[in-house]
Amino acid sequence: MISSLLQVLEFVAFLAAAVAILELYLHVHFSYFDHPWFVSATVAVAPVLAAVSGHSLSVGHLPSLVLAAAGIQLVSALVFRYVVRGKHSLPIMLLAPGFIGLGMLIAYPLAFEVYLALHDLKLTTIMAWSRTGHIPFVGFKHFTNVFTSSPLSSVTFGWLFGRTIWWTFINVFFHVTGGFILALLLNNCHRFRGLYRTFLVIPWAMPQVVAILALRGEFQSQYGFINIMLGRLGVAPVQWLTQHSLLTCTIINVWLGIPFMMVIILGGLQSISKHYYDAAAIDGASAWQQLRHITLPLLRPVLGPAVTLGAVWTFNNINVIYLVTGQAGGTEDADILVSALYKAAFTFYRYSYSAALAIVIFLILFIFSILWLKFSKGSESVYG
Amino acid sequence: MRQPWTLLLLVVLAGGGACRQFASGDTDHRIVVWEMEDAAIAPYIDSVLEAFRRLPGNADVKIVRTHYHPEDLRQQFQTASIAGNPPDLIITQSDPAGIYSVSGFILSVDGLFDMSRYNKAAVEAVSQDGKTWGVPISNGNHLMLMYNKSFVHKPPQTMAELFDFCDQRAKEIKVDHCMAFFLGEPYWLVPWMGAFGGWPMDGRRPTIDTPATRRALEFVLELKRRRYVPQECDYNCADALFTERKVAFVIGGDWAISRYEAQLKSDLGIARIPKISQTGRWPTPMVSGAYFMLSSKLRGPKLEVVKRLVDFYTNEENQIGQAKTLMRLPALSKANQAKVIMDDPNLRASMEQLLVGRPMPMATEIRAVWDAIRPLYGRVLSGQMTVDEAVPLMQLDAETKIREMNE
Amino acid sequence: MVETPQEVAAVLAAHHRRQAVQAVLIHAALIGACLICLYPLLRMISVSLRPGDRLISTDLALIPAGASASSYLRVFKETEFLLWLWNSLVITCVTSFIGVSLAATGGYAFSRFKFPGNKLGLTLLLGTQMIPAGMLLLPLFLMIMRLGLINTYLGMIVAYSVTSLPFSIWILKGYYDTIPRSLEEAALVDGTSRFGAFYRIVLPLSTPALSIAFLFNFTQAWNEYLVARVVLCDAQRYTWTLGLFELQGQYLTQWGMFAAGSFMVTVPVLLIFLYSSKWLISGLTLGGVKG
Repeated sequence: MISSLLQVLEFVAFLAAAVAILELYLHVHFSYFDHPWFVSATVAVAPVLAAVSGHSLSVGHLPSLVLAAAGIQLVSALVFRYVVRGKHSLPIMLLAPGFIGLGMLIAYPLAFEVYLALHDLKLTTIMAWSRTGHIPFVGFKHFTNVFTSSPLSSVTFGWLFGRTIWWTFINVFFHVTGGFILALLLNNCHRFRGLYRTFLVIPWAMPQVVAILALRGEFQSQYGFINIMLGRLGVAPVQWLTQHSLLTCTIINVWLGIPFMMVIILGGLQSISKHYYDAAAIDGASAWQQLRHITLPLLRPVLGPAVTLGAVWTFNNINVIYLVTGQAGGTEDADILVSALYKAAFTFYRYSYSAALAIVIFLILFIFSILWLKFSKGSESVYG
Repeated sequence: MRQPWTLLLLVVLAGGGACRQFASGDTDHRIVVWEMEDAAIAPYIDSVLEAFRRLPGNADVKIVRTHYHPEDLRQQFQTASIAGNPPDLIITQSDPAGIYSVSGFILSVDGLFDMSRYNKAAVEAVSQDGKTWGVPISNGNHLMLMYNKSFVHKPPQTMAELFDFCDQRAKEIKVDHCMAFFLGEPYWLVPWMGAFGGWPMDGRRPTIDTPATRRALEFVLELKRRRYVPQECDYNCADALFTERKVAFVIGGDWAISRYEAQLKSDLGIARIPKISQTGRWPTPMVSGAYFMLSSKLRGPKLEVVKRLVDFYTNEENQIGQAKTLMRLPALSKANQAKVIMDDPNLRASMEQLLVGRPMPMATEIRAVWDAIRPLYGRVLSGQMTVDEAVPLMQLDAETKIREMNE
Repeated sequence: MVETPQEVAAVLAAHHRRQAVQAVLIHAALIGACLICLYPLLRMISVSLRPGDRLISTDLALIPAGASASSYLRVFKETEFLLWLWNSLVITCVTSFIGVSLAATGGYAFSRFKFPGNKLGLTLLLGTQMIPAGMLLLPLFLMIMRLGLINTYLGMIVAYSVTSLPFSIWILKGYYDTIPRSLEEAALVDGTSRFGAFYRIVLPLSTPALSIAFLFNFTQAWNEYLVARVVLCDAQRYTWTLGLFELQGQYLTQWGMFAAGSFMVTVPVLLIFLYSSKWLISGLTLGGVKG
């Protein structure tokens, strides 16, 4: 127990040190860029520091490390001296740690994916690759395959794409509406509010896998809660899992996603001043008008980002689909782009093909988001 | 403004101390084992590994066992092998042997072990093109008929008998359904395919588009039409129905025997899946088992230790012990006739079923076959497609997938 | 028009009645919604109490026949559950703290400063969320292995802190935008530093957004599985997700213990949500001063 705490503390110290070094570095470069000795002094110091830290961490290739440090520092010093010139120091210093962390985490893997997509890694080349590090270059072959062949059995790329859009739209729509209604109810309720709220976030708080598997059981055609209830209403049993798998997945995912939106919207609602509503009531505004002209506009700063990100997450969400249909019942009627991607990558080891598909998915999302940010009113809040 | 900077300097110094963490070493006597067994098996594995460590000469051997879910093990082992940092030994089912051998992640065990000591069917499930890729630990993973003795006094020998039971006795005893099994999963379809004279693979070629597949599918549909089985039932559903005594029969795997014995006590009976009356053949479940596979990185003294470990793990005494604690059939021929197995009616029945089963194909292509059958089988079951429409498509799909895998 | 005291009283009474009816309806709707949310949790509890490791049952009773707490005892006796919880807790707390701090400062930079790349930065943040996460696992593993970080927490801490960053920065940036600049400018005139103005004025006013960001970071890190699976292989270092998933096999899963463990890890999260309700109400109201 103590060892894990110590390890974490050690790493926190390490991370803090890394951040501190970064900030010191930036501070020096923002404050002293005009000093006559600036470029020569920093270019002289950088290799020494690189040598010392490289030695203490016992990294190989010390000479090349030192050379690289000097080179990089020369470029950086020149940029700071002639381009940046001490401008925007505070925002850059505030953002640097987060962006560098994200960059480290994303850049290498992303570059790796692009490399894979342009080369040919599959079962028969994998051995050569792990021994020699070399795989054949195939150019854009995999990208054309993405559009011409099916990642699964019979569903085409176009179908999957359409289904993904539909899935995203329906889910986000119900997440927001459901979250909004619950948040409004909570906001107008004075007793037990904390208690209700705690119960209502259960779907978010519960480990997703258990929640999904438990709910999946309720859709079983003979013994599941839902069909038993429908049966009492005189409805014939519905084969949810095999005949309506997409609907089942959607219901489960809506259930899972509402609490998150609810918490965000509630956070926004609770901060809207009562005076607005009082003033509107005096002017004789109806409840609908109040919602339309006061609540929604004032919620935009929190709702905008939540909806945008929520859509991106839903587009890429596989948990529900994978756990509901991947295990049994054997259906691809509910698969969306990402779940097809994972099946292609992990059941058929088509590494390069799936890397290409992943990049295509990424680009589609990116284009969509940029369009959305440009044309939706939500963008005002984001870029405001 | 001076204070924050001194604070930062202090933090830098503190962080320097943390850097020491990164130095790490690897030892020669540390054997890393990854396994994908059900969690209930872990204590047994640990006990055998511990017994090995206590043997004379093994004092400095250290064994680290890590459990993975089957799918995770497959992915992690590949990833770690690509990265050049794989575990030394894995315990797994036979089916990933194909991909591991093609990718060069595992050693061929020919010449390292005396494979003639093990059951032929178990070895065959990890053999391809004259090479063997794993050492069997147990023989099985096969499906069999399990029944509740309080409902069924004499297990049916033919499907006609089973149908009679379902039509009459099942109605008297008021079970929800006569039998249950994992509908929609191809692994549970294969025994019928065999009984009608087919098999999903021939070498590396899928052979799905056959009359046997059609008849097997029609047979399952018939079970569903007559309501002998629930309309929709996955593994957990079949399992719950059987343990809650709401069905008389279940078709389940050897992995579940000890669990059902704990639940149903002496009411659990086991028999071969009844003969198909039309063809007079026994249904043929796939047979494989649990296997050791050795990382292709293993060399020198470490390989020797691993060899001794594998030999010890699968020696006669441990094979019999395994049958006793885990209710799994031995892979070592010498242990087949052990008294423990002969005296236990359930183990003996499991053995009889094993003898009519067929080894699971090792070829990587089998995955394509599973994934081609599964979605269309589902469509057939839910009535969205007829058998005659589905079967040619299954074949076509499997062929496409294999081509895509190898192109 | 309403003139006499009686008439006033009647109108007031009608108003109260309407409010009372409205309150009853609201409570009824909320209770209904709570039940829908609660049901799977109750199901999970009933799985944990059910003897014989069955995930589903043909019986709808929430308290199963032959219910026993043995799964709970077994989780503690047969697994290192407490150790896993502790590991998860330490990692989660540290990463939530780091994540929220980075987001609070980052969001401030985006909200208050015009600098080249402001919009691009925000879009790039969004972009990081678009890469299908599972595809990054192989390269992530290669990277972590080459850095010698297998089985250590550093990779996880960095990964967890920054993966929640885009959302946190966006939500905080949106919230800061609603806080009038006049408040900080007044402080700056009084001689406070820029950072001081942020720390003493903006942050305390942003508790709702900060707590949303914290809750988000916390639940993400607490329930994370994929990265942990790739990085950790020593059972002593496991987080609860890895530990509990170890109970899953291909066909046989120890559902009783799995559900019992899952229930116990849900409770702390619920407690945090319960406790966080007081932070969600801001000292400042949206648009309250601006308007």
